[in-house]
Amino acid sequence: MKLLVPKTLVAKHSFFEKQVLENFAVSDQVRQLLPDAGLVRGRIVRCCGDAAASLALSLCARASQQGSWLGVVGVSHLGISCAVEHGVALERMVFVHPPESSRDWSTTVAAVIDGFDLLIVAVPEALSVSDARRVQARLQSRRSVMIIVDTATLSQPNFSNNAHPFHADVVLDTATKSWSGINNGAGYLQQRQVAIKVSGRRVARAQEHLVTCNY
Amino acid sequence: MLRCLDWSAVVAAKTSNSPCVVVHGQRVISRSVAAMHYGVQVGMRRRHAQGLCPDLEIATYQPDRDRRAFNTVVRTINEIVPLIEVSEPGVIVFATRGPSRYFGGDEPMASKIVQVLRSSIVADSQFGVGIADSRLAAHIAAHISAQNTAKNTAKNTAKTPFIVEPDQTKVWLAKQSVRVLSEFANISGETVSLLERLGLNTLQDVCKLGESVLAGRFGELGVELHRLARGDEQHPLAAVAPPPEHLCSRAFEEPITDQQTLLNNVQIMAEEFSDYFVKHGAICVRLILKFESETGAHSERLWYRPQGLTARAIIESAKWQIESWSHNSALVRVQLIADEVRTDTARQLKLWGGVTQVDETATRAIGRLTELLGSTAVHLVKWQGGRDLQDNFQLVSASHFQTRQSELNASTEKPKWRGSLPTPSPSVVYSEPQLVQVVDKDKNLLRVSARHELSAEPVQLIISKQSYKVISWAGPWPIEEKWWDTARSRRLVRLQVVIEKLLPDGSQQVQALLVALEHGEWSIVAIYG
Repeated sequence: MKLLVPKTLVAKHSFFEKQVLENFAVSDQVRQLLPDAGLVRGRIVRCCGDAAASLALSLCARASQQGSWLGVVGVSHLGISCAVEHGVALERMVFVHPPESSRDWSTTVAAVIDGFDLLIVAVPEALSVSDARRVQARLQSRRSVMIIVDTATLSQPNFSNNAHPFHADVVLDTATKSWSGINNGAGYLQQRQVAIKVSGRRVARAQEHLVTCNY
Repeated sequence: MLRCLDWSAVVAAKTSNSPCVVVHGQRVISRSVAAMHYGVQVGMRRRHAQGLCPDLEIATYQPDRDRRAFNTVVRTINEIVPLIEVSEPGVIVFATRGPSRYFGGDEPMASKIVQVLRSSIVADSQFGVGIADSRLAAHIAAHISAQNTAKNTAKNTAKTPFIVEPDQTKVWLAKQSVRVLSEFANISGETVSLLERLGLNTLQDVCKLGESVLAGRFGELGVELHRLARGDEQHPLAAVAPPPEHLCSRAFEEPITDQQTLLNNVQIMAEEFSDYFVKHGAICVRLILKFESETGAHSERLWYRPQGLTARAIIESAKWQIESWSHNSALVRVQLIADEVRTDTARQLKLWGGVTQVDETATRAIGRLTELLGSTAVHLVKWQGGRDLQDNFQLVSASHFQTRQSELNASTEKPKWRGSLPTPSPSVVYSEPQLVQVVDKDKNLLRVSARHELSAEPVQLIISKQSYKVISWAGPWPIEEKWWDTARSRRLVRLQVVIEKLLPDGSQQVQALLVALEHGEWSIVAIYG
């Protein structure tokens, strides 16, 4: 016996449609880290560890060059020279200082999501889970990408994996292993080796990469 | 068109024969005939001009003074021609059709104007009258006429107007060099220089290219260039219904004598008037301003701005017109009549330099964020250059920046300053440095000699009582800035250090920091995070 499914139902129901993933372009070096070979619209990527800020900038750089706007929310320590060296287009980079309280912070971030394709944000300690959910829902409907930077060194609160209010799709945990080019009074910092652990709910199996990067 | 050469220098000069220049921003913007004989040119530096002519009179640029002096000329012309347009001090534009017919042709009318002006006070200035079919052509014609006059004054011959025959304007204009565009039509010098480098030396060459080709290369500017080159006066017309009566005309129940009160009234009108056009996506480029006095006398004048008359510009125009009108009675009526209106496409796009949907959405979001958080919380980045990490770029409030986008666009590729740190730059830069102790193997704080040499090798870094081992280091990179100024002078050295960290789970991790020594104190200024 044949199972009869009306054709109209197939067309209507999103479950039957092939989900098309739209990506923002990323540089070759970071592409291998990401599960869908690019920044998928509507997703949250969280960078933690000591190389989080550079990694966040290198994720944004290619898309920014191609015309996307980048909103930097609450990460006032971000080095601008570093952003330029990564190739972020300065004329499309906007710094926003949001209020601390949970409700105001989420309102501000929602406004940034409305206008910009890419966001680099630092999440305040006070953010409640329900406000975070709302922000995430807005992000998914506006199809922007949010990159959360949290590092202990940023003097921002450091969430443990479970307590974080956002459910990140991809978590990139960085740890610098060594620097080269510098040698007791000679040379200067040139290259480093970074171990990056990739996990998150869109990643089937957590992996660890060792990457050499010149930033 | 009537054009007086170097009007502001003529006004500023004490006597007609003394060499005089008007200087604005250290550059000569106008020079008198006597100064010209010494070889002083417009655009020269002040020092250079002084070098050429030591007893040069130097005057500052005062648009108000030039304007006031020009009012007598305006009044003289106004007696012959009823409706005139004064775009800047020294230039008067009017339509010749009516006056020409009255005086019996273009030539008699032009001679009449020359005669009238010669008998008034401007006799010693060089002025020219030019007649042609388009604004640009008339400008050039008047300039040629003025230059001819300058040559002929020595021979004491009559001043000759320069008339381009009707229907000949296009042919005559085609032969002109593209330089006239920057001189008379507000096209930037860079664009003109680019046209020359592209091998387009005359307006004819520009015209031959075709409008679509120019539009493809230059956008809205290309269309404008082609329009000017072919000698057309028509802007694309905007189909906007004229503003309602109450916006354009205001009658005062009580006649106004005070100028300030009148201007306040005009301001209210001008704001509503320009708002009306903004709402309809148009701009008013030509406006007739009309004042009527108690006794029935009235002053009527045309105002033209190719970029469109904003509320501010209308008020400015009204002020000028009132000053030049010698009326004794109180005013009872003000009228604003939009004479030429066109669509506002060109200016809107230029604001943010971008044309894409993404840029428009982002611009709107910036506006919304500024509204939400205040202008101090939303910043854009501007390059300013410097040796220190914080000096290199400046955060500028977004609300200040919207009108200066071109500056921002130019800021992407900038050279590095000498004495700045080698790349890569740190990704985390603290605005308030964190104090730290950098010590050698005997736990002594590191010092730096007058020649920027370290007292010993750094061995340990102590951050709030916790010590870290220094694996490697490089530097120092010194900064000695503004040593001539005791209040603002800075002297510091910077050091790159790599420290070793033990994580709670037992694994090892290294971290690179940038530490600086200033006023005998070490601090962490940035992290290579």
